Amino acid sequence: MERYRVRGSKSHIPKKLLFPLSYGPSSSSLLHILDGHLQGQYERMKKVAYELVVVHIDLYVTEEDREFSARKLEQFKAQYPRHRFISHGLEESLKLKEIDWNALGISRFSHIGCPNGKLQHYLASIKSPTDRADIVIILLTRLLVRIGINNSCSCILFGDSTTKLAEKTLTETAKGRGIALPWQICDEASAYGIGFNYPMRDLLKKEIVKYVSITPCLESLIIHEQVASISANPKSVTINDLMLQYFQSSEEDYPGIVANVVRTASKLSVASDNTKNCCGICGIPCCLNEYTSQYSHQPLETTKLAERPGLEPSFCHGCVKLISR
Amino acid sequence: MAPANCEKCKLTRALVIRSKNFQKLCKRCFIFVFEEEIHNTITTAELFSPGERIAIGASGGKDSTVVASVLKTLNERYHYGLDLILLSIDEGIKGYRDDSLETVKRNAIQYEMPLKIVGYDELYGWTMDQVVEAVGKKGNCTYCGVFRRQALDRGAKMLGITHVVTGHNADDLAETIIMNLLRGDLPRLARSTNIITGDKLSEVRRSKPLKYAYEKEIVLYAHHKKLDYFSTECIYSPEAFRGSARSLIKNLERIRPSAILDIIRSGEDIANLISEELSNNSNCQSQKKTQASDHSYEEDIGGCGGFNKGASGGEMILLEKKLQENEKAVSNGTELFSSLAITISQNNITEKSKVALSSTKKAPRKHFRQTLGTCVKCGYMSSQETCKACNLLEGLNKNRPKIEVQIDIEDQLSPTVRKINSSVLAPG
Repeated sequence: MERYRVRGSKSHIPKKLLFPLSYGPSSSSLLHILDGHLQGQYERMKKVAYELVVVHIDLYVTEEDREFSARKLEQFKAQYPRHRFISHGLEESLKLKEIDWNALGISRFSHIGCPNGKLQHYLASIKSPTDRADIVIILLTRLLVRIGINNSCSCILFGDSTTKLAEKTLTETAKGRGIALPWQICDEASAYGIGFNYPMRDLLKKEIVKYVSITPCLESLIIHEQVASISANPKSVTINDLMLQYFQSSEEDYPGIVANVVRTASKLSVASDNTKNCCGICGIPCCLNEYTSQYSHQPLETTKLAERPGLEPSFCHGCVKLISR
Repeated sequence: MAPANCEKCKLTRALVIRSKNFQKLCKRCFIFVFEEEIHNTITTAELFSPGERIAIGASGGKDSTVVASVLKTLNERYHYGLDLILLSIDEGIKGYRDDSLETVKRNAIQYEMPLKIVGYDELYGWTMDQVVEAVGKKGNCTYCGVFRRQALDRGAKMLGITHVVTGHNADDLAETIIMNLLRGDLPRLARSTNIITGDKLSEVRRSKPLKYAYEKEIVLYAHHKKLDYFSTECIYSPEAFRGSARSLIKNLERIRPSAILDIIRSGEDIANLISEELSNNSNCQSQKKTQASDHSYEEDIGGCGGFNKGASGGEMILLEKKLQENEKAVSNGTELFSSLAITISQNNITEKSKVALSSTKKAPRKHFRQTLGTCVKCGYMSSQETCKACNLLEGLNKNRPKIEVQIDIEDQLSPTVRKINSSVLAPG
């Protein structure tokens, strides 16, 4: 956050930053800290270097969940009145033109049914829980980018901790998206033309949880996540769940290893070739690895891909599994 | 549900469901498809050239048995023109290695391949039984791993062979990639994803034809072809030492079987994202091959039945301590800057400290690059002055109390002198 100090800032217009709020410990803590940060800036200098646009994305279906989420947002707004709070549903991602909806098997131009029902129907049709979690995260990220651009934000601040970034590193590695790690872990430039920043990247999740427990106004606001545990039914577990559980146990005994994973991923540089080809689903530049890609692919899916004459193969390795079969 | 027919030939009933892609195949088609995939791997990577002599690292276990069987089949079917030889290392573990070597001897007869057995006692003067007596069970896997890697190369050199094939499979490789990510070792991760290490200038190259083959399918292939292999695990490395990366891989495979190949794909992509400063790729003729300067982790796995002894909980503890020490060193360095800044006049302390700290952050970190050299004692390749095996050997020899006459065992002694020394050591 050094670039957002008031002193030395030659610009008089504060920058707008999009702030996704999930009501979890990490994003709520970051909001609390930044609110105090801005308060201090204003009290000293009578001006601020940046403004926050706080956005919450609803992922849930039922009306009760939506009402609960709306009440929660009102609580946050009452606690931190300085900022602008907005709310969106994940189904609004269906309006995004950049996503190759035909490959996903969604006809977004039909007017039958409401967008929410259409999205839920699509998600219910995905057989693999890992694929379902995967597409939700992709749509969420791309929707945030669109909201940020629409609100003239120069950057998106994520509340991801070291533990979260380490989970993401291994999760994307296990999904075949190693090529995308620099775009997803490092600060500043992203694949979408808007900056991604992770101010909490040096903090472990357990440290954040401790911070919340000693901050009374935060304790009553946030939604505590359940401690991850692998369920007895393997069919309902996702790769994300497995990595979450793995790193939650790792950071207790081996916190240095968790930090080491993030430092390692931060050393990678983006692929310089073929940045023109972007994946039609996740939007990250992907270059075809001619040496191994045909063999890393599943033979069955490769055959089916070859059977589509009009389809250009512009999907990254991880998103090929999401294509409708 | 009615029994499904084979997806490939449509004639026979399907007996095998491939975990890679859930393809349903009959026995014969599964064997054929398995072999064809390995053939594709070999031809795409251009692992072999006609007339080449190949040593197959044979332990008697399922991986090396399958790689020997598949290579023999493909060598005949597609006329690679290879001269295949079995190369075994005898660690000197009674009750384990002598039984597995009997399996390799039977394999040599079944596959009509010559067999060369090289023993630790022949190369180093120590058997693993003796090493365990000297150092105990706790750390003996380190000795065995270091000795075996070198022994395989030296055995190949004895035969005049420059290409060694190992039975590392996709599960082993995925585990290596995850472990190197956890350790933060990007150069080693880059090397381990290459299907062949070393180039034509190296003394001995190593390749992994089973790189994309799943462990489960290797077992199925061995079962359906009724291959003769030895399945007991090393008696000095009990199952309790299974590493956390291994269990993570198995959990991932249960959730999504293709995750193993996906991790390998990610590892290959990550290798391309590593800057040249961090890796040795700038020295290579092509990106497919990497100069082999240090095999210490990527070859640890799969040597004794696929258990990863190097990644046990003990290693996680050691890695954690090492990282904490690194953190202390970094913070101490910062404190030095701070204490230096205090000597500056009071008015300038704040700004200059910030400048110093920011310049510290911005200064490019120097990365230590390993360069390949040779050990001054035995001539084996090493990035240090003496190789790991000679260092371990020196430690062992110093602690040997039974020697009455001080004889310095040299690796390069001629066979005649070695025999004399052996007879002198025999009473001890």
